[in-house]
Amino acid sequence: MKILTSEEKTVVFKDFGDIWENKTARSILFLVPFMMTLVLPVFFLILLFHVPSDQIKGMEQMLQLLPAQAADLNGRQSVFYLVTNLIFPMFFLMIPLTSASICAASSFILEKERGTLETLLLTPLSVKRVFKAKVLGGIFLSALTTAVSFLLFSIVMAVGDLLLSMPFYLNWNWLVLFFFLSPVITVFSVLFMALTSAKSVSNTESFQTSGYLVLPIVLLFMGQFTGLYQVNAILLLWISGILFAADLVLCFFSVRLFTAEKLLR
Amino acid sequence: MSEIAIHAQKLSKSYNGAVYALHDLSLEIPSGAVFGFLGPNGAGKTTAVKLLTGLLKPTDGSCAIFGISPVKKPCEVHRLCGAVTETARMYGRLTGMQNLIFFGQVIGLTKRECRQRAETLLKSFDLWDVRDKCLSSYSTGMAQCLSMARAMIARPRLLLLDEPVSGLDVESALRVNTMMTNLAAQEGVTVFLCTHQLQYAQNFCNSYGIVSKGKMLACGDLESLSREVGIPLRARFRLREGQTPKHMECLNDGWWGSDLSEEEDMPDLLQNLVSSGFDVFEAQLVHPSLEDIYFKLIEWKGEET
Repeated sequence: MKILTSEEKTVVFKDFGDIWENKTARSILFLVPFMMTLVLPVFFLILLFHVPSDQIKGMEQMLQLLPAQAADLNGRQSVFYLVTNLIFPMFFLMIPLTSASICAASSFILEKERGTLETLLLTPLSVKRVFKAKVLGGIFLSALTTAVSFLLFSIVMAVGDLLLSMPFYLNWNWLVLFFFLSPVITVFSVLFMALTSAKSVSNTESFQTSGYLVLPIVLLFMGQFTGLYQVNAILLLWISGILFAADLVLCFFSVRLFTAEKLLR
Repeated sequence: MSEIAIHAQKLSKSYNGAVYALHDLSLEIPSGAVFGFLGPNGAGKTTAVKLLTGLLKPTDGSCAIFGISPVKKPCEVHRLCGAVTETARMYGRLTGMQNLIFFGQVIGLTKRECRQRAETLLKSFDLWDVRDKCLSSYSTGMAQCLSMARAMIARPRLLLLDEPVSGLDVESALRVNTMMTNLAAQEGVTVFLCTHQLQYAQNFCNSYGIVSKGKMLACGDLESLSREVGIPLRARFRLREGQTPKHMECLNDGWWGSDLSEEEDMPDLLQNLVSSGFDVFEAQLVHPSLEDIYFKLIEWKGEET
């Protein structure tokens, strides 16, 4: 069974073209992963080798957050471990979130804003098929961006691990984060934007709305510094499960709310 | 009996539940007709097009395109009809050719079929020379012509056109009109033309619906409409100066006029004048214009409300 018919693929490729031609979308789609997977980790690595670990403020408190398996690590290694597992996951999750939001905003809201959605809805493609093509297109592009980013990030981390004589950074947390949490966040962001497209008047407004999605991720990872909890693979699996359920609910509502009349209002 | 292209039964639409943008619209348009849906801005013309294409759901009543309900089967309706509305735009970043190929492929044509059809249409609308330019660089008239081409790419049986020549220069308007007339005459395409330009509608349509404030005031061909509003046919004669026929109204510059109940009365009237010794230099049979009918209707309905 084909996932997309040739007509739907035509819409998907047109959407990719729209994203590519849109300077803002294109730059965000490249800049965010570039910053999160290359610039920030490389900058951190350089910093780590130039600043003595005993001069880092709050080092004592930070080391208390180290799990038992990282107890043998020296000062530099401990800082690298902490940042890799406490801070970088938060940065990494911004990639599926922003890329999915950008793709969905471009294919739903910009199309509505430019008056081309109405023309598309006048074709024999049903509203549901237009919705499906746009959602799957957004998910595909976002997933591709996330996967490439993960590869780049892994290379930078591997270099860091080699330089610091540490084992490879990839652990259960990261595996759950990449294989479970990132996909459900991608789907959630695309569906959320699709859902808001019926209400949003402009692209700017939709981007502002998508900002709300960043907040829970920041809170989840920054909350670890209170020492009250630690984000581990089990917790991430639970969150993925909850988001998966939310995706199903959002999908149900989006399909119902995605009607020509509501979209063109 | 010819097939019914558009059928509407008490079709109504209210956006807020209080005010009706379209109220109790009932009409039947046979296949092959060029129907003018006339009314001022805000009369409900665009709402009617959106209801007929299934982009809006009616608050009350029903409609069908060649027997298919746009509410239940909008995709099937879209296969049969091409629609041009003021708000349905095409992709500015794509060229004219790319736009037509895209919409052709979305309809289900192969790329080769799309290219062939696009080539024919672009040439018909005199857009061939700008086929590889981005739509964003097109003038309003060119963009409108491209929208017409887009609506025709799948050879529709019905064209729903909302103000197709609004904002167009004379040349572009003429091109659109010629295309529309040819389609109706040669290919039997039904045209539902929404416009507020009465003279324009009179030139191209063979039946009319006059709508105001969401309500249909009258519907029919020019003859039946003029009968409905009581504007008769008129005979006008230019006679030799100083001649004064009885039972005729004196107009200006030597012209005399008289109402006729039907066209057939004209030869007798002319013969009577000549046999009575009047020198007739010119004779004219004057049909009431759509404009006369429209304003008379608005005046009547205004008085009623």
